[in-house]
Amino acid sequence: MSGFDRPRFLWAVTGLVYVFLFAPIFVVVLFSFNGAKSLQVLDGLSLRWYEEFWRDESLRESLVASIEIAAITTLAATALGTGLALGTIRSRTRTARGAALFLLIPLVTPEIVAGVSAFVLFAQVGIALSLTTVVLAHITFSISYVTIVVRGRLAAMGSELEEAALDLGATPWQAVRLVTLPALWPAILAAAMIVFALSFDDFVLSFFTTGESPQPLPVRIYSALRFGISPTINAVGTLMLVVSLFFIALAVLLPRLLGRRESGLAVLTGSRTA
Amino acid sequence: MTGAFWRRFLVPGALWLIVFFAIPFGITIAISLGEPTELGGVLYGFNPGNYADALDPLFAPVLLRSVGYAAATAAICLLVGYPVAYCIARYGGRYKHALIAAVLLPFLTNYLVRTYAWVALLADEGLVNRFVGEPIGFLNTPWAVIGGLVYGYLGYMILPIYASLERMDPSLIEAGKDLYGSPRQTFWHVTWPQTRAGVLAGGVLVFLPSVGDFVSAQLLGGPDTYMIGNLIQQQFYGADNWPFGAALTVVLMAFLMIFMIFYLRGSQERREALA
Repeated sequence: MSGFDRPRFLWAVTGLVYVFLFAPIFVVVLFSFNGAKSLQVLDGLSLRWYEEFWRDESLRESLVASIEIAAITTLAATALGTGLALGTIRSRTRTARGAALFLLIPLVTPEIVAGVSAFVLFAQVGIALSLTTVVLAHITFSISYVTIVVRGRLAAMGSELEEAALDLGATPWQAVRLVTLPALWPAILAAAMIVFALSFDDFVLSFFTTGESPQPLPVRIYSALRFGISPTINAVGTLMLVVSLFFIALAVLLPRLLGRRESGLAVLTGSRTA
Repeated sequence: MTGAFWRRFLVPGALWLIVFFAIPFGITIAISLGEPTELGGVLYGFNPGNYADALDPLFAPVLLRSVGYAAATAAICLLVGYPVAYCIARYGGRYKHALIAAVLLPFLTNYLVRTYAWVALLADEGLVNRFVGEPIGFLNTPWAVIGGLVYGYLGYMILPIYASLERMDPSLIEAGKDLYGSPRQTFWHVTWPQTRAGVLAGGVLVFLPSVGDFVSAQLLGGPDTYMIGNLIQQQFYGADNWPFGAALTVVLMAFLMIFMIFYLRGSQERREALA
């Protein structure tokens, strides 16, 4: 580690890591435009694998299902998570402290544990697995992410504004609606976009909680991979990358578009300086 | 606005987490003490035998392997990720944000698709082997699985280290040099202690999901490299031994919770020592 003060060595390591990170993605995107069926040899460029994807009705249904799951998850988890953020930061009671600690557990629970737990719950209560059960599991695991992001913002904000609103005659509910929530918007939106991307991409939870048909896209990819690799998967992977990229870009850019001067990255990490 | 007013906001989310997180885990514990029926169902009871099975010489290596792979993954991520975070934070200049965003970009590709891209790259007739010349059997080795895990979770290491480097006052490094510290001494005595919290957080963020991962071993490894996640998955899909699968799940969760308690206590002691 003697190279820590030598930028050239550091840039070399960093460059290699970027190659390592991007090589597989480059391969996926490039070969999604391959004219031949091979995953090893590039033979002209074409859109045939995208056409193939579009013609496959069940794959298309899976894409729609994944978007629906992510949308509903985002709405519900954002509302529940924001509530928990308000409750745990602003109420300084022992219940709130306990809740704050309890909230951390889903964050450190491996997905497979969450998947198994959700699976046995639905099996024992007798709820048939379907897209609804996937949504329930996704919401459960997204709440904590929202709370963490929104809480960072809320803690940095302080409660002076709310107190000022009360002094000016607002009821507590009005203070929340007219002062707290508008000030939290950037963080709430950013958290929502992240939840969308996470839910859209999730495989393990979906795998344990999905029914037969239609299945979320990642589960479909998994079963397709077991029957051998088809270049169509490259097209699907590229499309998913585009969707996730879009939502993460929104997460970073929206706070700016809303007229805040700080960067979205700072809102996400809860830091006051970018 | 009193505590009682704010406490109301906790209710919906807390109820949701109790119903869909705490209770299901309780059911998992109950099932782990049951017995499998021939139909693939569960007979509730008190049968600690499932836990004895989980620690049986037949399955214990899988548990150890999972912990070993995850520890190796965290170590490699640190070794590879620290220089990257350091380089971006110190020498990134105005490209800092772009460089960090570029680190995160690959993590937006679906984990399955990313991992299987490695299968295409590392296969015997794959691009890497054609480049090397003679085929090296990369796949189905522990290194392929650990490599897949590193690839899957490296971002979780780079981000917290980067954040802790950014928080650090750069004039401390200058001060270290002014006091005639060599670059190496300055790093170990000034920079490293300042970023230790980030390193530990990164280690935990990489280690936790790695232990429970089953995709990397499924796609890049074989039965010899299966991890506890693969074993659990098999109990619910195929083997139909839910109680044993549930017991493995509880063992995994208990191990990670103990690990987390030590981590949190350690970081609290450090905070107190600093204060």
